[in-house]
Amino acid sequence: MSESTGTATPDRPADLPAQSPPVDPAVTASLKEKPRAGGLSFWQGDGGEGAKRNLGLIGVLVVLVVIGAATRWDLYSNPDWVWGNTLTILKLASVVGVVTVGMTFVIIGGGIDLSVGAIVALAGVWATTLATQSYGAGGMIFTAIVVGTAVGVVNGVLISYGRLVAFIATLAMMVAARGLAAQISGKQTQVSNNSFINGIASTDVLGIPLLVYILAAVVAAGWVLLNRTTFGRRTVAVGGNPEAARLAGINVRRHTLLLYALSGLCCGIAAIMLTAQANSAQAAMANLYELDAIAAAIIGGTLLSGGRGTIVGSLLGVLIFSTITNLFAINGLSTEAQNMVKGGIIVGAVLIQQVQFRSVTQFFGRQKATTSG
Amino acid sequence: MSTESTPSGDSPLVEAPADTVAGEVVLRLTDVVKTFPGVRALDGVQLEVRAGEVHCLLGQNGAGKSTLIKVLAGVHRPDSGQVQWRGEPAHFANPQAAMRAGIATIYQELDLVEDLSVAENAFLGHEPKVAGFVRRGHMARRTREILSRLGHGEIPPGRMVRALPAAGKQVVSMARALSHEARLIIMDEPSAVLAHDEVDNLFRIIRELTAQGIAVIYISHRMEEIREIGDRVTVLKDGRTTAANLPARETPTRDLVARMTGRNIEYVFPDRPTAPAAAADLLRVEGLSRTGEFADVSLSVRPGEIVGIAGLVGSGRSELLETIYGARRAESGTVRMGGRPLRPGSVGAAVRAGMGMAPEERKSQALLLGEPIHRNVTLATFTRYARLGFTNAGRERAEAERIADELQLRPNDVRRAVRTLSGGNQQKVVVGRWLLGDTRLLLLDEPTRGVDVGARAELYRVIRGLAAQGVGVLLVSSEVPEVLGLADRVLVMREGRMVREAPAGELDENTVLDLVMAGSLMEGAPA
Amino acid sequence: MTQPRDLSRRRMLFGSAAVGAGVLLAGCTSNESTPTAAQTKAADNSGGGNAAPGKKVTVGFSAPAADHGWIAAITNNAKAQAGAYSDVDFKTVEAGADAAAQRAALSTLVAQKPDVIVVLPHDGKELNAFGLEAMKAGIPVVNLDRAFPDALAYRLQISGDNYGMGVAAANYIVAQLKAKGVSAPIIGEIPGIDSLELTQQRSKGFADTLAAAGFKVANRRPAEFTADSGQQAATGLFQALPKIDAVWNHDDDQGIGVLAAVNQANRKEFFMVGGAGSKKAMEDIQADNTVLKATVTYSPSMASSAISLARLIAQGKGMSDLVELQVPKVIVLASETITKENASSYLKLGF
Repeated sequence: MSESTGTATPDRPADLPAQSPPVDPAVTASLKEKPRAGGLSFWQGDGGEGAKRNLGLIGVLVVLVVIGAATRWDLYSNPDWVWGNTLTILKLASVVGVVTVGMTFVIIGGGIDLSVGAIVALAGVWATTLATQSYGAGGMIFTAIVVGTAVGVVNGVLISYGRLVAFIATLAMMVAARGLAAQISGKQTQVSNNSFINGIASTDVLGIPLLVYILAAVVAAGWVLLNRTTFGRRTVAVGGNPEAARLAGINVRRHTLLLYALSGLCCGIAAIMLTAQANSAQAAMANLYELDAIAAAIIGGTLLSGGRGTIVGSLLGVLIFSTITNLFAINGLSTEAQNMVKGGIIVGAVLIQQVQFRSVTQFFGRQKATTSG
Repeated sequence: MSTESTPSGDSPLVEAPADTVAGEVVLRLTDVVKTFPGVRALDGVQLEVRAGEVHCLLGQNGAGKSTLIKVLAGVHRPDSGQVQWRGEPAHFANPQAAMRAGIATIYQELDLVEDLSVAENAFLGHEPKVAGFVRRGHMARRTREILSRLGHGEIPPGRMVRALPAAGKQVVSMARALSHEARLIIMDEPSAVLAHDEVDNLFRIIRELTAQGIAVIYISHRMEEIREIGDRVTVLKDGRTTAANLPARETPTRDLVARMTGRNIEYVFPDRPTAPAAAADLLRVEGLSRTGEFADVSLSVRPGEIVGIAGLVGSGRSELLETIYGARRAESGTVRMGGRPLRPGSVGAAVRAGMGMAPEERKSQALLLGEPIHRNVTLATFTRYARLGFTNAGRERAEAERIADELQLRPNDVRRAVRTLSGGNQQKVVVGRWLLGDTRLLLLDEPTRGVDVGARAELYRVIRGLAAQGVGVLLVSSEVPEVLGLADRVLVMREGRMVREAPAGELDENTVLDLVMAGSLMEGAPA
Repeated sequence: MTQPRDLSRRRMLFGSAAVGAGVLLAGCTSNESTPTAAQTKAADNSGGGNAAPGKKVTVGFSAPAADHGWIAAITNNAKAQAGAYSDVDFKTVEAGADAAAQRAALSTLVAQKPDVIVVLPHDGKELNAFGLEAMKAGIPVVNLDRAFPDALAYRLQISGDNYGMGVAAANYIVAQLKAKGVSAPIIGEIPGIDSLELTQQRSKGFADTLAAAGFKVANRRPAEFTADSGQQAATGLFQALPKIDAVWNHDDDQGIGVLAAVNQANRKEFFMVGGAGSKKAMEDIQADNTVLKATVTYSPSMASSAISLARLIAQGKGMSDLVELQVPKVIVLASETITKENASSYLKLGF
């Protein structure tokens, strides 16, 4: 068995979707090494490690809020403002948050979706053409969701049955979907005149914005889907070890397709939310959302190589980013500085995770050597 | 309980007379141990290599050869034991350090940069430079010198490596080794990618290198090559040296193979039950073929029967198993379960028909290493416990715990990540997966590789127990005693073809070894 | 197991639903918008002046592929204006995604030997060399908006006034606040893409003029010329400033999002000035039911003017109201301030 750490797996019939370039299994094995202390603790139960990481993220959020309070005490001293600001941060996070839920599934399943921003734009534009608007709010929502899902299905077919690398297939889709969006919109900003749609962004229910409910519903559905359904189990299996999943009888290709369709569906929902917020849609909207979503998933602890990740972690990742944006806004600081801090946080989060597992692997190696050597 | 022993004997390490090889000892490994989480890859390796010799390293897949190479190449650092290089204790912090010390490694999958030129590859990482600029002319000249030293002055140093045939690439790899002034060159199955006449050329080069005092560690499965080019042989099994410094030309092939495959542990098999009652075939394979892997294979397995396939690496046995399972698509032939033909190339169809497989490479083919044990155990069955798509965590956990108890999994906590288990317990998880659900036929590929003695006995017990419950088992193993001890009926496979089928009781280990090795492997072996 | 039959039936149902949705959606891409005709100058023959048909001329035109309403309006206006002249043969080339693509497109245009070329370059500096070449080859170049640095690279330069936009917006805001008697006003600014030179010029004009009145910008949250980014920038601005007196938003396209944010945050205590002069902004100003009270122009109508002037250059005529016999070399459009009072007269220039 030892040699399997060094030798490549034998050639298989190429009916697996192209996932990632071949890597030394020893390297992947060590990359997938989870932080794990010697003895068993309650953290090691179901999702325990995710919970531990999430506590760290909550800590980061608290630090950001403390910085905000320290720098703008004049604002933070007013409880009404704090409540309103919290809702504002949640609203700011809501669109990217919905996209990130889909992205988290795709990444856990061993893929990547670079086309999410473009899908949001295409679905938004398609839903706000004069022709679609003539069908009313129902027609617009239906259109956005069907367009988003359909584009996701195209991604999925290209990747799982066309055997394109996910990075390339979705990169192509990113370009193509924006092109189609520009074509449909005639490069104009399409104003939404539908008061129901626009109302989605301005309606509060029991003092909490509707957008926040939508985010909560999508996150809850995503959590249940990942942790309590066979779909979620397959996702983890397919991303963690596609060959093992296949040999256990899981239809890896069909599942991969479904993952991209799910991501597209989330983009369709997000398109409605963003259109409602901006009262309009245009081909350039949702710019770079793919990077925001990937970054949020990564700092939330989702493994870029697949097989591990949590919905709550991704949500916290999104909240951290929108809190930073808010922090810089209330202090009137430039967006350049804000982007540098965001970059730093991404690197920092990944570095901390690496340091954790490095020390753990070293510990593990020593323990092995001393107990059985 | 009955024990079956092997006839090959348990002779201690064979030390060759010191005068068989003249050169000084350049490399000496003493008790080298290397562990990875869950597996002890090297478990006390001894190796002695002299200047100017071709030292052959023999061992099955999983014996620890690759790990050993990586230790020597500076990729892995040993946990304990000593590496002496040219008389001094050596610690190679990284591959560059090993290179600088004069150890060059030519991996099976050549690590060349396809889109750089021959010269750039030969001097990759240590290009001759002046003030930061590569001296291209000088580099090309040096490369040409080295290539002609290798007898391949015809390869243009400026040619892209991509444009070269496999043999040419190998020459470039060797040129890189020589560009480092290597004193020891490790070649991992260099002949695997070469045609016959190219192998002759390879041997000519190796002879020239050794004549210059360079030592070569040569890894190959092909006995006739070892006979032709090797001076001494060291055999590895399960991470240990089972024989060292055997004379390459004189040692009988059967001795070598026995040391590779034979027992160095006691095989403990449960009592064989009375022969299963004749029943309709559970599995029936007819005329199954895949080009270059196996041809025209027919076999059958009855309920409750254990059928063993004996064969060496490369005989096509693993490929056959995966094809029956639908993980590879057969080019011709049929697979029937209970009389009904299976859709070719569909694992799902095979699993639905009641097949289960424990593949050869546990970690890369069967396990989600980071996931807890219970999720791995239920990987093929969680859908059955689910209702309306919602998993039933309680039921899954209970089933997994039942399996863990039944297989005496240690540690017996199903929430542990699978990666923390030993190889034997990991294998129990893989086999245990198919105890759930309604598996009627279990395909086992090297079920006991890298598995310790205790876990082996438990696995044997489980396999027998399954058969007693009417499950058919198709077992592939390169350990002949295991096949003979466990199976009711034995099929011998060689070079992609079935060469013998007989009840296990009618065969003994020597007969099987002879069949397995017949043909090329027997050539050159003293009678 | 009855599942397979079940499944196939489900698949068929799903399949027909998908086809139905596809057919329905395909019909949903139409956008019968009615652009541009308003932004041209009709070829008024009655006066007998410059508009009268003259020598037949070929006008080449190139602008970047637009992802933004303003540039889309530039191209549409140019086309429409050319269509208004019976003596103009209009040849346009798609300029692709970057300066290199535009250079390639322009060389094919030159090969068709037009009498004059109108160019809105991707980047004035990068395409300066093209201007020099064409001029040397005897083809006059009309440089639209983004300036060639070299004076020999164009026959006529016609552009908007970015600094002037900021000045005009600030002047309006200062006047309004002074009239209300606000002494230390809180002023917010929502610029477009912050790394662009034009954004920096606009902001500088704004800040300079405010400073002259003793005011300053309290917070500045850049957007990206898109409505969704405008909405987010405005939301951030409102969080930072619980009370605002005035806001200048650089771009009316992103202003759609800014106004949405105003609604969503329910903030009505301030007034806002827009930028560029879109039709929707003018309508909103005219209706006077939002915080948007004015907008300062940076009108794509300059493309129509450029075509008219290019025609005159090719025909060797001057501008009839000027004494000179030739078209001037540089024209900088004044940034005009559109308010409720004059909105009706500008509405036809909105894009």
